[in-house]
Amino acid sequence: MTMGWLMSFAILVLVAAALSGARLPRLWLALTVTGTAAFLGAALWTLGGGAAWDWRSGFAVGNERLHLRLDAVSAWFLALVGVVGGSGAIYAREYWPDGERPESAGRGRGWWSTLVLCMGLVLLCANGLHFLMAWEAFALSAYFLITLERERRETRAAGWLYLAASHAGTLGLFAFFSLLAAGTGSWELGPMRDHPEVAPLFWVALFGFGVKAGMFPLHIWLPSAHANAPSHVSAIMSGVAIKMGLYGLIRFSGWLPLPEGAGWVVLGLGAASAVLGAAFSLAQNDLKRLLAYCSVENMGIILIGLGVGLLGLASGDTAWGRLAMAGALLHVWNHGLFKSLLFFGAGSVLHATGTREMSRMGGLWRAMPWTASLFAFGSVAISALPPLNGFVSEWLIYLGLFDAAAGHTQVAVAIVPATIALGVAGALALAAFVKAATVVFLGAARTQAGAHVHECGWWMRAPMIGLAAVCAFIALAPGVVWPFIQRPLAAWNPAWSVDDPPAPFATLGAVQAALVILIAVMVVALWLRSRTNGMRRALTWDCGYAAPTARMQYTGGSFAALASGWFAWVLRPERRLRWPRGPFPRHADFVERIPETVLERVIGPLSDVVMTASAWVRQRQQGHLPDYILYLVAGLAAMGVLVVFGSMR
Amino acid sequence: MTLIREFLVRLAVWLLLAPLLPGIINKVKAWVAGRRGPPVLQLYYDLARLWRKGVVLSTLASPGFIAGPAVAWVAVLAAALLLPLGPLGAALSFRGDVILLVYLLALARFCTAWAALETGSAFEGMGAAREVSYAVLAEAAVITAVLTLSMQSGSLVLRAMLAPAAGTGAVLLAVGLFTVLLAENCRVPFDDPNTHLELTMIHEVMVLDHSGPPFAAVLHGAAMKLLLFSVLLVQAVLPIGKLSGIAAGGALIAGVLMVTVAVGLVESLMARAAFRRVPLLLTTAFLLCVFALLVAWKGGAA
Repeated sequence: MTMGWLMSFAILVLVAAALSGARLPRLWLALTVTGTAAFLGAALWTLGGGAAWDWRSGFAVGNERLHLRLDAVSAWFLALVGVVGGSGAIYAREYWPDGERPESAGRGRGWWSTLVLCMGLVLLCANGLHFLMAWEAFALSAYFLITLERERRETRAAGWLYLAASHAGTLGLFAFFSLLAAGTGSWELGPMRDHPEVAPLFWVALFGFGVKAGMFPLHIWLPSAHANAPSHVSAIMSGVAIKMGLYGLIRFSGWLPLPEGAGWVVLGLGAASAVLGAAFSLAQNDLKRLLAYCSVENMGIILIGLGVGLLGLASGDTAWGRLAMAGALLHVWNHGLFKSLLFFGAGSVLHATGTREMSRMGGLWRAMPWTASLFAFGSVAISALPPLNGFVSEWLIYLGLFDAAAGHTQVAVAIVPATIALGVAGALALAAFVKAATVVFLGAARTQAGAHVHECGWWMRAPMIGLAAVCAFIALAPGVVWPFIQRPLAAWNPAWSVDDPPAPFATLGAVQAALVILIAVMVVALWLRSRTNGMRRALTWDCGYAAPTARMQYTGGSFAALASGWFAWVLRPERRLRWPRGPFPRHADFVERIPETVLERVIGPLSDVVMTASAWVRQRQQGHLPDYILYLVAGLAAMGVLVVFGSMR
Repeated sequence: MTLIREFLVRLAVWLLLAPLLPGIINKVKAWVAGRRGPPVLQLYYDLARLWRKGVVLSTLASPGFIAGPAVAWVAVLAAALLLPLGPLGAALSFRGDVILLVYLLALARFCTAWAALETGSAFEGMGAAREVSYAVLAEAAVITAVLTLSMQSGSLVLRAMLAPAAGTGAVLLAVGLFTVLLAENCRVPFDDPNTHLELTMIHEVMVLDHSGPPFAAVLHGAAMKLLLFSVLLVQAVLPIGKLSGIAAGGALIAGVLMVTVAVGLVESLMARAAFRRVPLLLTTAFLLCVFALLVAWKGGAA
């Protein structure tokens, strides 16, 4: 019963926060942090072995009684909502303050708490109807947050695109839940493996939740929305909101009877998202767009894990399926943590320089040492490099993949390409993050925008440090986290025996810790040795350039040119180059734009066709009476033909 | 006690023997060209000298410029310690250690590229860009090779994976891995370690601005990486695990020497490939590994 009190407390506090946001920033901050902490506490209590919380109301909303349930799967995601929701609220205090944004700061606070609350409700609702309501409210509050800076045209366009894409997905979910209710005879959600006839609905859910999760090629809304939203909003969108799509996929793949080939399709989509997301990410020149595409990549990695888990489910109780599924779940946490950290870092850079264009930055480490180190930390983590947490979850997924391949069974046909794709995506992501971190923070300032910058204050720094600390904890003590992963696994598919200890999780943790110590020792040793030998500063040698300038530096575009050239078939970069001509060239320039290929080359032309067709139909509707009589006659004739032929058959 | 002693022996092998390889390669090249060449121990002398020298830092460089080589060196050493050394075995062996090895090498790459971009030099940026880009293709080949080994041995522990020979696909795997070795260690035909400036466009160009002890760490790390790849290649192809102690050690040493001489011969007899050819070469290596994988797959099914 304490759980019920805790949840009602959290919900009430967040409602109060949403109402107080506009006028009372301090109270709002206290309430939001309290509410998210209550969410986190409830989630950790459930994950730590507490019984699932189940509550039904005596009253009805929309003819259905409210049914809230917090089991390990929803708790897993609720923990992330709590962590990022709280740290983002603290970050926003300095990043989006009343002083600088008098018009939107209050609105932003209100919608922030609403978003956190609605995401919590999505995770709690165990009734299809109420799930849809919470889902819609969640999507709308995210829209209002994305468009906080609505005086900018790009922001309005991004918000519009988000709204359209999100509703396309919601339309799929409407179909999904109503057909599900029709199939099972109730809006109640829960295990429904005994209704094999609803299996095909999995594909509808895959579309509806896939749009939200930013799965390739349904990710079209994601880059512009994440890039144009305020950075703390980008953080919660990328770290948590798109995870709601994954929550839906994981939840319903655990409950629904799975159609033939579900695992194969999810695995294929995951591999495509991973590789193409990373390739798009590498090619971007806008810091936040780069981070946004990287979310597509990471969703792909999680979907690879989920796909292997589903394949394992189809082949019975397999250890490799469990491992990959555990890796996918852990990556949900990891990505939520380090992606929020990176977006906070990007926000700090944006706050200081006023631009997202990486080719205008450079050398920021000197003025922003905290942001630079934390961003570097996040980059190493997200590139899945040891000794940080990204590696731990990818390692689990790799273990699942390799074990599945070693079985020499039919699934290896899908597993082998997916494994190679995961490796390639990892190498591409590494390139993308070397680019992001170094072009922004290292070298010389490329423009004046980068020359007069300031470090962010403690309100922005503290959430970043907190997120980095959680990342470090998962990296160094994965053995402690493992029992927490087992519970959602067991809740996802109760038939699985998940008692077996994680291969050598404790060993991995020890190795990572040893690595950290070794690195610290070596860095200090090398530093001390260099200092005793004598260190002096000089111009970059660079094979003897006497007067290097910042304009000679490698830019982000040139850094990515080689690898993104291999993906030109899908990236379709638009380049305009004016060569310098003549002995005294006056003008030369080079402009490169990486379009969102799926949006501009597929959805764009398709919607043009629809618009042309609609315009044509509109021309037929001019109010000419004879035309309408003709339509009537034609319609009647068609019906007659149908009746005659129908009765003949 | 024996545990500690064995660990120290392994450490000594990796730390002390690694700089021998570049010396041997240079001797082979000198021999083919009819020169006397530098002494085999030249790299040891260089390292000792660099360790005593002062450091010149670029005015733009952050503390990461010294931390980068340090982390990269630790990463390569840790990866090396995971690799079994014939009869000596590995310092640490657990399920999935092979993935850790691959990603430790990626960590080294990250840090080297990071340090290269510290200087704000176009030249070093170029090298870093090439390093991380070619690594995408090399990574595909390495992952495929690892898949091959794990499929035929049914294991994910390096010790078990490297014990049997690579079966009928051994030749394919050997050629594929050798090509990856050349690319990852920036040897001809991917890169020319001989010169600075135009001919050396990947690794050497990334470390142009390093000096003193950090540069020693870079050079020593590169030598360890070469030894690591040679040991990996030899053990993947030869059935070292099936031989008894001394024979296994002898075979391993002979194999590594053969690989080293082969690198030297390739370097003497071939020119560096044009840069647009490099992706093609690496794709070929990847395809060879894929064929080896198919052979291993069929072999397992039969």
